[in-house]
Amino acid sequence: MSADTLQRAVPSPRPGRELRRAFADFLLRYGMILAIVALLVFFSAVNRNFMTLGNMLDVLRAVSILAIVAIGLTVTVVVGGIDASVGATTGLAVMLATALMVIWRAQWWLAILISFAAGAVVGLINAFLVIRLRIPDLLATLSTLYVVSGVQLTITRGDAVYRGMTNPYSPERALTTGEIQPEFLWLGQGMLFGTGDFRGIPVPVVLMLIVAVGFYLFLGHTRHGRLLYAVGGNPEATRLAGVNVDAYRLTAYLISALLATLGGLVLAARIGTGGIRAGDPYLLDAVAATYFGFAVLGARKANVFGTVLGAIFVGVMLNGLTMMNMPWYLQDVVKGAVLMASLGLSFYLKPKST
Amino acid sequence: MTASSVLRAVDVSKRFDGVVALDGVSFEVHAGQIHALVGANGAGKSTLIKVLSGYYDSYGGHVELDGKPVSLHRPSDAIRAGIEVVHQEVDTALVPTLSVAENVLIEHLAERASGLWIDWQHLRRESSRAMRRVGLEVNPARAVETLSLHEKQLLLIARAVRRKARFLILDEPTASLSLREAQLLFELLRDLARAGVGIVYISHRLGEVRELADVVTVLRAGRVAGRFQADAPTEQIIEAMLGTATSDLYPERPTRGPGEVVLEARGLRRQGSVEDVSFIARRGEILGITGLVGAGKTELLRLLFGADPLDGGALYLNGRLLRLRQPSDAVKAGIYLVPEERRRHGLLIESTVRENTTLPFLDKHTRWGWLSRRSELQSAERLTRLVGLTPPLPELPVKNLSGGNQQKVVIGRWFDGEPKAVLFDEATQGIDVRAKRDVFDLVHQWSQRAAVIYASSDIDEVMALADRVLVMRDGRVVAEVNPRQVSREAVLALATGVKDSIA
Repeated sequence: MSADTLQRAVPSPRPGRELRRAFADFLLRYGMILAIVALLVFFSAVNRNFMTLGNMLDVLRAVSILAIVAIGLTVTVVVGGIDASVGATTGLAVMLATALMVIWRAQWWLAILISFAAGAVVGLINAFLVIRLRIPDLLATLSTLYVVSGVQLTITRGDAVYRGMTNPYSPERALTTGEIQPEFLWLGQGMLFGTGDFRGIPVPVVLMLIVAVGFYLFLGHTRHGRLLYAVGGNPEATRLAGVNVDAYRLTAYLISALLATLGGLVLAARIGTGGIRAGDPYLLDAVAATYFGFAVLGARKANVFGTVLGAIFVGVMLNGLTMMNMPWYLQDVVKGAVLMASLGLSFYLKPKST
Repeated sequence: MTASSVLRAVDVSKRFDGVVALDGVSFEVHAGQIHALVGANGAGKSTLIKVLSGYYDSYGGHVELDGKPVSLHRPSDAIRAGIEVVHQEVDTALVPTLSVAENVLIEHLAERASGLWIDWQHLRRESSRAMRRVGLEVNPARAVETLSLHEKQLLLIARAVRRKARFLILDEPTASLSLREAQLLFELLRDLARAGVGIVYISHRLGEVRELADVVTVLRAGRVAGRFQADAPTEQIIEAMLGTATSDLYPERPTRGPGEVVLEARGLRRQGSVEDVSFIARRGEILGITGLVGAGKTELLRLLFGADPLDGGALYLNGRLLRLRQPSDAVKAGIYLVPEERRRHGLLIESTVRENTTLPFLDKHTRWGWLSRRSELQSAERLTRLVGLTPPLPELPVKNLSGGNQQKVVIGRWFDGEPKAVLFDEATQGIDVRAKRDVFDLVHQWSQRAAVIYASSDIDEVMALADRVLVMRDGRVVAEVNPRQVSREAVLALATGVKDSIA
């Protein structure tokens, strides 16, 4: 488009089409936010207990783990990949941290440290498969999903972890003597900033806010964030502009695995036991949240703000449906259908490229 | 195919969101004629061929075939009318994983009448016949993705011929062809024209247009700006394209003494593409590299930029050994590359001008880890002014810019650096005359600050710009010549292997 064609721009002769275009743009920008507001209005209309501070904090507490995991996934989508192993990594952290404390009587901080180390190893394996061996990201991280999922079971030889469980490594089947320490449980059950008549804000929510604000600034307002987006936009052009593309892709997979680990630790602390495969649902929910977030404010790319809203959307929907006594086995059907509708909307209404 | 066949666009107009792309253009091509369509980027050439190929649902004016109005609103309409297009990006019309035979007969596969089972013998026979017609000799069972660009073009022409095309439209077919391949293509097109096919030929290269075409139509800003016989003086055609009298295309060569040696290559080698290349490049001079497509120019520049690893030899920067593991090492050392394929290797096509120009030196806009958009904008505005971007809007997505302006973005991004050597690879490919002139000016500006290495298969361009020229053939430098003392023909002879030395 040269300067003189721009100057000769004249108003389009079809106001009807203009209006439709404007409506589509509006839906693209604010559709997600509207949907959340609509859900809130709807659920509070049908159930009085929905719009209470207590329930809202419950929703946020449930959302926070998903949001943390989904933000990690978002970073890998930003560099043009995906990390299918986040759910398994979340589960690994649950089992590893609880087993370390219960079976091996590790201190809470050591359990956390070792879990993060294990998460980092998962991230490095993903990066190695994708960057060095050049396996397509989805396939590479799917194979990691398998392995990590299996390792998670192997830690306890297939048992769940709870206080007083039989020690799977003891030939005489002795009971374990370790416990999940209160400092650890605080991560999932603690409250912060409470006053006399206010219970306070749940620690997971605070953690989510820190991660969300941190990564929002990191991706949107730092050099490294910009370069992560550049890598996702055109890796070869970015490399030829003098950027160490592989280092950024590695960083993305590392971030993804570490945030999945953090999510797992909070999950374990919230439940207080180590459930088998507790992390599994987080993969699909995180993918959903990330792609819900694609369209928020017309971003048309993975972004932290959108992902958090996407996670809130999923959380509100599930909480509301549960309070309406929707059977648990139907929830996935609803989630999937809503994801279809949302993706359909954002891809079908995609602004015309000029 | 009757000899009186004629395809005529009458008063065709097309606008996009209020922007006029075609404004009452009339155009006709007769059977047996080669009609060239030229014009700067954004002049409306591709919009016109899209109208003729049924790409648009709606447009103003109408199209006539043999004097009768014909409705062209779907690609299938055009094919039924016997109009076939070979687009510049041939891959968009091919299925890379299917065989050559299946691609030639692709619409046959889609027909219900062809039955449930694929008749391989029929496919092979039919496709071979069509390919013989265009001189394409490849195994019909080969996957299309293994073909060269030239072969893919011929395949598309074979497909058109098999469908009994009466009119064939080619968009910039020689943009990435070697000289020999281009000559083969021209022979084929002349041959098809003699057989009664009407050909519309779109190109930036006036030389080949004059060689090939019978008639030339010039488009400018959506209107017909002139119609010429092919033997009209080039200056007249250029004048019609630009809308102004032609000043000299190439900038004045400044007289200057050569500066100090900046970059020295000793025996560079890359398995299969570069063999034993040595040269020096001085500050304040332009070192040209020319040769046919595939001679190893791009591969050599990639070695100098660390984009591919060396298999042998050594590079010295300011007399010190330089080890490049990846492009970021080169950028840190002050070696910058303007790559050959700007859309694939140069640009973040979905991002804005600002994001593209600040990409290599983002740390200059970073304070305490914080990226300052204001600082970025200032720099982007300065750079867009420096390179003469039109329109000068830093927040415009680069995909909305013309090819020439996109190239200015890729060149402009390095202005903020501290250059020691700047490498240009086919920097004027697919950009219009006016933008070319701007690019040449920028190349000259760079040569004031750094050693410039300018690689292009356009021999005239390299001869006009460079102070010294390396001629490459089959990965080797076969000669270093002084462009002021050697003729274009001599360089061409070296590049094609007709001669092995100037002597």
